[in-house]
Formats: sequence, structure tokens, C-alpha cells
Amino acid sequence: MSSLIQVVINGILLGSMYGIAAVGLSLIFGTMRIIFIAQGTMIVLFAYLVYWSFEKAGIDPYLSLLWVVPLALILGLGLFYTLFRKAAALEDRNVSLLLAVGLMYLIDNLILKLWSATPRGLNITYSDAMIVVSGIRVSWLRLALLGLGLGSALAVYLFLKRTRVGTAVRAASEDMEATTIQGINSVWVCAVSFAIGIALAGVAGVGMATVYSFDYQFGFIFAIKALVALALGGIGNVFGALAGGLLLGVIENLAAYYVGIEWIEVASYGIFMLVLIFLPQGLFGRRALVKKV
Amino acid sequence: MANPLLEVKDLNVAYGDVRALWDISLEVEEGSIVALVGANGAGKTTLLKTVAGLLRPLKGHVVFEGEDLARLNTKQRVDKGIVMVPEGRRLFQTLTVLENLRLGAYLPKARAGYDESLERVFALFPVLKERMHGKAGLMSGGEQQMLAIGRAVMAQPRLVMIDEASLGLSPILTRHIFELIVALNGQGATVLLVEQNIHMALKICSKAYVMKTGHIVLSGTGEELLADVDVRKAYVGERGSRL
Repeated sequence: MSSLIQVVINGILLGSMYGIAAVGLSLIFGTMRIIFIAQGTMIVLFAYLVYWSFEKAGIDPYLSLLWVVPLALILGLGLFYTLFRKAAALEDRNVSLLLAVGLMYLIDNLILKLWSATPRGLNITYSDAMIVVSGIRVSWLRLALLGLGLGSALAVYLFLKRTRVGTAVRAASEDMEATTIQGINSVWVCAVSFAIGIALAGVAGVGMATVYSFDYQFGFIFAIKALVALALGGIGNVFGALAGGLLLGVIENLAAYYVGIEWIEVASYGIFMLVLIFLPQGLFGRRALVKKV
Repeated sequence: MANPLLEVKDLNVAYGDVRALWDISLEVEEGSIVALVGANGAGKTTLLKTVAGLLRPLKGHVVFEGEDLARLNTKQRVDKGIVMVPEGRRLFQTLTVLENLRLGAYLPKARAGYDESLERVFALFPVLKERMHGKAGLMSGGEQQMLAIGRAVMAQPRLVMIDEASLGLSPILTRHIFELIVALNGQGATVLLVEQNIHMALKICSKAYVMKTGHIVLSGTGEELLADVDVRKAYVGERGSRL
């Protein structure tokens, strides 16, 4: 029993990373109507930057949040205005999607060139620190991942609900032209939601640097995992996306523990398919309120 | 004589290779209600969208208070007071009534008068106050149309362009919406009305233009057009026939 609890807890903690990535995907999908396939690669890029600042300057990864998040926001705005601005205005979403694919491979190979193909990971002094409650062992670093996940989801939720631009992002996710008709600069609204999506990649990058071993090819796999999490949680619901990530983490850990580690991917993609077939709006997704006029 | 509030001169608009408007000219006097009537596909919505800055004309001018708007985008036009209530209402359905109204007053100028505008909207449409925190998509068709107009009022418009306000509404609700449009006009907003309910539109407008396949084919006062044999035959009573 206690081993089951241990497995579930580990799943939740590692799943937080999928959750953060899925929240980012959901936000970007809302306004740009594409699955931003480069999200995983952006996470890996930020993980490398955190790794680099740790190795070269000894900056604690969690302290790195202070520069990673602002950098990611600026990078996000820059990428949007240089790469996606024109494509986002086109009816055909494939151009944006292809740009994202191109960006993914470009950054993957940039990482390969800069940091080689050797997998990297951080050796942090407190990486072994554990809390033990009635036989259940949880490392502080993994617990912190859940904190990152909950903090990110809450921040995005408050942004969407409490700020003017956030309300405009929700409006634009529903009807871009109607948003423009209100006199709202919908290009800026798209740019902001994209930038916040990239900032979430920055947060996830910090988490990834502290617990994963990562290399230049890890991004694509991670993006697909985030997509699975998003499908589980349902698009258009911040906490649903996070919960989808946690659930995917639990599924993977249960599969690894009870069936065998080689079954992880089979289990997660199998469930991905089942959810898409039987619950296409996701487990926590809202059905459309009314049919669109 | 004072310039009209809105002046459209020789406007030509196309969607790609498909021409939608030919040499459209019209004038909307400050404080008036002007109706734009005609069959589906006549180009009425295209004309409103071009005035709103959502479409670029091939040639011709949209002049507002004597200023050519060619270089202004939709946001800048809204800031000047040109506000559109789009066909099908296009509310943000998952947002609350209040959030929809807030988005109507998004620009700094409109935001500065937010409290006043909100009071004004609630006075015009008391039902919106009751439904303030409910989702826009859960309201009835008539309430949604009121919200769509209310959202435009929040922008403190000089000119409100209302596209098919009566679409999908019962005759009683249509009458009610028209009364509200007249009330809004009485408060000083100039109204440019696109309508399929031609009889009602001609009754409340001071001037009307009849469009057909991208051209303006007739114009006159509402009374004149109501009396016009061709218009009566084509639109009033005899549905389905074409001018």
C-alpha cells in the first residue's frame, strides 16, 4: 500500500512538469490555434541556460527563476513579432505550425552545437534532501516541482481572470475578430499570451534542470507529453491542463512500477488515444456553453 | 452647412478577386438614424466592415468628421467613436455579461468614463444588470442582442453601426430592440443600421439606402422608400422577391 502511495506521489510530482508545459500549450493554442510543438524544446533550452549559469557562475537553479522568467517573456515577445506575427494573421494555421516545427529543430541543433550531445544534469548540494512521512520518501526538489506547477497555474489563472489583458486573451481565444471590433489590439493580445506561454517554458526549464537529465533531443518528446497532458485535461481550462499533467505523471509511474518501465510510453499514448476517442473535450474540459451563432 | 458625421465616397471593395462593392457613396448626418437595406449578399456587411477598418478598400474614401480614415486601423477608429455591433452579435459567450461590457470600454478614453457608461447601459437594458455576473452565452437571444448593443455603448460611440439587430428575434423582441435603438439615438448617438426587417428600419430612420449586388440602387427618406412601389413590392410584405 505504501509503495502505491509512493508511486502515485512521485507521479504527481514529476507530472507537474507536464502540467506547466500543458498550461503553456493551452494558452498559446487559445489565441494562435496551433499546438506549439517547440514548447518542449524551449523548456530544454531554458534548462540548459539554468545548467550553464549553475556550472559557470554557481547560481542556484531556483534563484535563476528571477532572470529566466523575464528573459523568457522578452524572448517570447521577440519570437512572436519576428516569426509568428504575419503567420498568425493568416487563415491557414499550417504556416504557424510549420514555423514552430522549424523553430524546434533550429533550437535543437543550436543546443547540440553549443552543449554537445552529452546528456546534462545538475549536481545540487541539496538534491538528496528528503522528507520522510510514515515511510513515504519525498525529495525536496521534486516537491518543489509541484510548487512550480501550482504557482504557475495560479498565476496564469489570476492573469486571465483579474487583468484587462487577461480578459482580452480569453475574448480573443473565443473570437479574434470580435475582439478587434472592440478596439483591442489583438496582435498584442496574441503576443502577450505567447510570451506567457514561453515564460512557462522558462519555469518548466528550471524544474527540468533540477531533476532530469536532458539532452538536445528531449524537447520534442516533452512537447508530445505536454500535448497528451493537455488532451487529458481539456483545452481552455488552466487547472484542467495542470491536472492532466499530474495525471499523466501518475499513469506513467504506475505503468513503470506495476507493468515495467518499458511500458511507460505505451500506457501514456494508449490513454491519450482513448481519451481523444471517448472524451474529446478532456476529463476536466468544459463543453461549449452554446453552439456558436 | 455642416459636414456629415460619416461620409463614404466612391468606395470599392473586393475579397481577393471577387468584387463586393462598386462606387458606394453615402452620408450619415450627426444625430440621425440611417438605414442600409437590401437582400443577402448585397454588400451591407462588407460596407460596415470597411468603415470599421476590418477591410481595406480598393479605392474610395471613408471620411469621419471631415478626416479621411484610410490610415487608421480598427482600434484607432473605435477610439474616434466608430463602433460596430456585428452580425450574429459575436458576444464572448464564456465571459460574463460584465466582462463583455468591460471589453467594450477597453480603450483609455472609454475606460475613463466606464462608470457612467455602465450606468447608462444598465438604464437602457435593466436586464443586463440582473444578469451581470452570468455567462453571456447563457442568455436569451434578445438579451444577447441587448448586450451586444450595450457593449458598443460602453465604447462611448459617436457612430454606432448595427448589423442585423433583429436577426433571429421574435417580432415582439424586434420591436423592443428597435425602441431601444431609437432611445439610444435620442441620447445623442448617430446610428447606421443594416437591417433585413426593412419595414421597421424604414419606419425609424431619417434616411435610407437600398443596396443590390454591391451597388446603391435607391436612396431617400424612410417615408419615401416606404411609399415607393418597387421597394414595397420587393421587400415589404412580399418576401423572397428581389428588387
